[in-house]
Amino acid sequence: MSQAKKKTFKIEPFKHKVEMDPKYAEKTWKILEDAIHEIYNHNASGLSFEELYRNAYNMVLHKYGEKLYSGLVNTMTQHMREIARNVEAAQGGLFLEELDSKWCEHNKSLQMIRDILMYMDRTYVNNFNKTPVHELGLNLWRDNIVRSPKIRDRLLDTLLDLVHRERTGEVINRGLMRNITKMLVDLGQTVYQEDFERPFLDASSEFYRLESQQFIETSDCADYLRKAEKRLNEEIDRVTHYLDPKSEAKITSVVEREVIGNRMKLLVEMDNSGLVSMLIDDKYDDLGRMYNLFRRVSTGLQTIREVMTGHLRDTGRQLVLDPERLKDPVEFVQRLLDEKDKYDKIIQLSFSNDKTFQNALNSSFEFFINLNARSPEFISLFVDDKLRKGLKGVSEEDVESVLDKVMMLFRYLQEKDVFEKYYKQHLAKRLLSGRTVSDDAERSLIVKLKTECGYQFTSKLEGMFTDMKTSRDTMQGFNATLAGSESNEGPTLAVQVLTTGSWPTQSGARCIMPREIFEMCNKFKQYYLSTHTGRRLTWQTNMGTADLKATFGNGNKHELNVSTYQMCILCLFNIADHLTYREIEQATDIPAPDLKRSLQSLACVKGKNVLRKEPMSKDISEDDVFLFNDKFSSKFYKVKISTVVAQKESEPEKQETRQKVEEDRKPQIEAAIVRIMKARRLLDHNNIISEVTKQLQARFLPNPAVIKKRIESLIEREFLERDRGDRKLYRYLA
Amino acid sequence: MGSDRVRLNVGGKPFVTSRTTLANAGRGSMLAAMIDENWDLVSELVSEEIFIDRNPSYFSVLLDLLRTGELHIPSGMSEKALYREAEFYGITDRVRHARKGPLDGNRLECVASISGRATGDGTAIRASPDGGCCVAHGSMVHVYNWAMEEQIPLTLDYVNVNDVGFLNPNCVVICTCERGDRAGGMASFNVTSGKLVHKFQVCHDDQLKNFTAGALASSDVHLYASCRGRSYEYGIGTWDQATGQQINFLYETPGRPLGDACKLQWLPQSNLLLVATLFPRSDHSFVSLLDFRTKGKVWSWTDSCQRKSADEKIVMDAVAMEECSTVCVVNQFDNLGFIDMRNSSHPVRWSHRYRSARVSECEERCYSKLAVSGSQLFSSKNDSVYVFCSPDWDAARGVQTARLRKTEGGGAISDISVGGDSLFVLHNEINVFDVWETPGSSGIAEVL
Repeated sequence: MSQAKKKTFKIEPFKHKVEMDPKYAEKTWKILEDAIHEIYNHNASGLSFEELYRNAYNMVLHKYGEKLYSGLVNTMTQHMREIARNVEAAQGGLFLEELDSKWCEHNKSLQMIRDILMYMDRTYVNNFNKTPVHELGLNLWRDNIVRSPKIRDRLLDTLLDLVHRERTGEVINRGLMRNITKMLVDLGQTVYQEDFERPFLDASSEFYRLESQQFIETSDCADYLRKAEKRLNEEIDRVTHYLDPKSEAKITSVVEREVIGNRMKLLVEMDNSGLVSMLIDDKYDDLGRMYNLFRRVSTGLQTIREVMTGHLRDTGRQLVLDPERLKDPVEFVQRLLDEKDKYDKIIQLSFSNDKTFQNALNSSFEFFINLNARSPEFISLFVDDKLRKGLKGVSEEDVESVLDKVMMLFRYLQEKDVFEKYYKQHLAKRLLSGRTVSDDAERSLIVKLKTECGYQFTSKLEGMFTDMKTSRDTMQGFNATLAGSESNEGPTLAVQVLTTGSWPTQSGARCIMPREIFEMCNKFKQYYLSTHTGRRLTWQTNMGTADLKATFGNGNKHELNVSTYQMCILCLFNIADHLTYREIEQATDIPAPDLKRSLQSLACVKGKNVLRKEPMSKDISEDDVFLFNDKFSSKFYKVKISTVVAQKESEPEKQETRQKVEEDRKPQIEAAIVRIMKARRLLDHNNIISEVTKQLQARFLPNPAVIKKRIESLIEREFLERDRGDRKLYRYLA
Repeated sequence: MGSDRVRLNVGGKPFVTSRTTLANAGRGSMLAAMIDENWDLVSELVSEEIFIDRNPSYFSVLLDLLRTGELHIPSGMSEKALYREAEFYGITDRVRHARKGPLDGNRLECVASISGRATGDGTAIRASPDGGCCVAHGSMVHVYNWAMEEQIPLTLDYVNVNDVGFLNPNCVVICTCERGDRAGGMASFNVTSGKLVHKFQVCHDDQLKNFTAGALASSDVHLYASCRGRSYEYGIGTWDQATGQQINFLYETPGRPLGDACKLQWLPQSNLLLVATLFPRSDHSFVSLLDFRTKGKVWSWTDSCQRKSADEKIVMDAVAMEECSTVCVVNQFDNLGFIDMRNSSHPVRWSHRYRSARVSECEERCYSKLAVSGSQLFSSKNDSVYVFCSPDWDAARGVQTARLRKTEGGGAISDISVGGDSLFVLHNEINVFDVWETPGSSGIAEVL
């Protein structure tokens, strides 16, 4: 594109050519130039602003803008060079002061020059895309002074030296530093960054690399962290006092990288003072410091978390698999709770309740609790212990907090159904023996289990409570009818009617009861069946207790609290003084293991031996003879003769429970498979496994091999079939 | 000397005022700099009076402006000379604000009618951000500054100008048709010197392309234009305003609407570019919104599947109103239509302002043009401009609030433009354009 001049003929009127003084521009510029010199020489008092402004205005108006502008550039450059010489000549420490004072003067002069040349700034500079006067002044200062070869390096060295001196403890003139860095920022962010910030960061990086090396050789972990924290705060302080605010993030990241990031591994793994020993000794302050410092580095928290998790899993594994600990389940669980409390406190106090740390803690516990297959049993035993005696006289809130903690452990369990099994057994014992401390606590735990695992999980447990209540009502009714029917002075009977299925009953427990008891039982049976038609009652003699009044040799009267089996045995001695094992077995028909256990507790426990045994020995053999111990004495009127029971399960019992659990799982797995297949119709093997696992993991972790067996069983029963084309696919048969 | 009092002698006439009044002029003005403490010392020593070698009668008007914020120009005083004096004292901005308020379509007054010197019909008028404007006539562009003084005319070697626009008050961009000899394309010029600043070029595979620049629009930093050429240069180009470098090009195959677009509009709030390809450039109308961050169309509308017969409505101009989320269109019968900008699937809702039956075919006429300021829509029809207030898609109509028409008239209106708080109206029959402004706080006793 070009500009075409139109060539048209014009008749111009005659005009006088107004001649301007040819030296006009020279003269005017001379006036302005002199004024600029005077301004730089602090001699502006003789100048008239109006005159100078008018002269500059006229020059621009008469198209001498170019001359004015280039003259300005030359004159200013001249002055900059002179100032540079002055600054260069300044001795040692006065260098910065000289630079600072010259900078102040330059700013003032520049302001005045801009005032004079304001009209040029507005019109000429705008139209011809020149640099405005103020910016021009800054650029000239930058190029002739700050970046002149003799000043540039000296300035940088002086600044870095001052910073270094301050880092090593000297006091420096912070105000001067601030003025100089402000000057660099005023000259433009790039000047500040290139001429100061970048070398400053490099020098800092080197400084901290060396210092942290020295620190780490001479200090322990906690000490090092304290020093690092101090250094970091010092640098932030430095930025607020005399650096550009934008430098804060950069310098802190240098310190973080050199002092923390690069030393992280060494610090955490330091012998005797590293993270592990801090955790062991509960050093909340040091841990908190480590957390706050490491948080600044990208992988810092991850490092802490990994070490903590590793340590936690190791100690947890030792705790859980220590054979010594397995002897006392209550102690075992208490240790677990203590460990959890310890780490909860650390996370709360030192790690500001960081969610990722809480998750790490939970996954660690989940990991090691399930290493021991007996954890569910132990946790149930712990609860049993607490609910039977541990919580006596403890306030309601404390009970709640203990139960909450137990629930936390319960959450970590994979085999929740095993826990349920044990819990049911223990609960049954507590209820039937009336040994539970607080009904409220029992119910509260049931509610917690219900919210955790759903209605299905606790329905049977709740059924047990209902049975206890209805039994009380039934007994009241029964006793009322007995009183009405002029009954004889028979023994008092207390019956608890238990719903089959809700309770861990063992069928086939049989025994021949003494005649008077047997009659009483029959009366109850009649009463019960008359009010509840269509039901069947069987006696669970293995779970009952009895109070017997007994008279011993020298007229000593005692009330004996015994089990039903023991009662049957003792009643035999009403008519005979000595009986052989075989005779007893025949007369009572009690299953051999129970009989032996009952006899053992009657004859072999010191202080409670109401029977004598011949020969005297700890164990019961089938040839033993039992005699009524006439010389029995006790300082208590009431004597409780407890059956010798292993509190923990013995090895065969354990196997039995396990088997029962496995048996119970089968229908659950099958139900899950059928539910899934009904919805999906066609699914491959791996997907079934993963879906079933997902559905059941709230209760237990099913074994893939077991799932496979269940699938096969379902195929046999024609719930499913294999796809004819792809053997891996299963099809649901409606 | 009194602490706040200042004695001035302007061209021999004494004035007494206060520092506060002079400081009102702002730090960037000569008057405020004069009493700055850097210079203050001086005047105190030399004399108590500060002498200013200017005409006192203009100064008294300007001093009153600083005192009251209102501009009263006595009859017989040349407005131009007053502006020159204001320029000397550095208070032009204050004079401008006193003269002209923010654009309000309902309070507009016609402050000037400028007759162009060149012959030929004006094709386009564009407002500059500071209140000036430029008019394209064939291959010429006449530029007027904010005081309506004509600048150096830009002559473009007999290539036709398609569109013009201001990048800033000092710089105007011109789009021209291509010619075989590498002329044509797009370039920016300095308005005071008339010199070329940048040539905006289209490059494909490192080869410079010859192209016709259609419509243009500019954001704060970028310049957009629709381009047509021989092979690969169809589409919308993006250039950097400061360097003139091409930074982006949205290609489309020839015949697709983008390259043929006859109206571009930059929407600053949503960062979108409205591209409209309309009759007679193409048979069907296409309006779309482009997002250059994702290089894609975020919204589009076309009538290609709707129009059946010849007397159906044809969209002649389109403009987006960001505040109302509406794209406004106008057809050959001057009916306004509205399209929802938030939803791509909506059709046009036409308001039935005029009846198509009353338009006679033989009469030479100008089609309606649209312009937008905030929530006000300006639409030209014959020799008048109609102002509508906040139309939106739902209501399908705008409320007409004013009609702008000059009594002496200049014939039908061929183009309108809004910018710098002014409305410019270009007439078709005589080479004249009108300037409409909202009066400022001052009362101007006499205009010119």
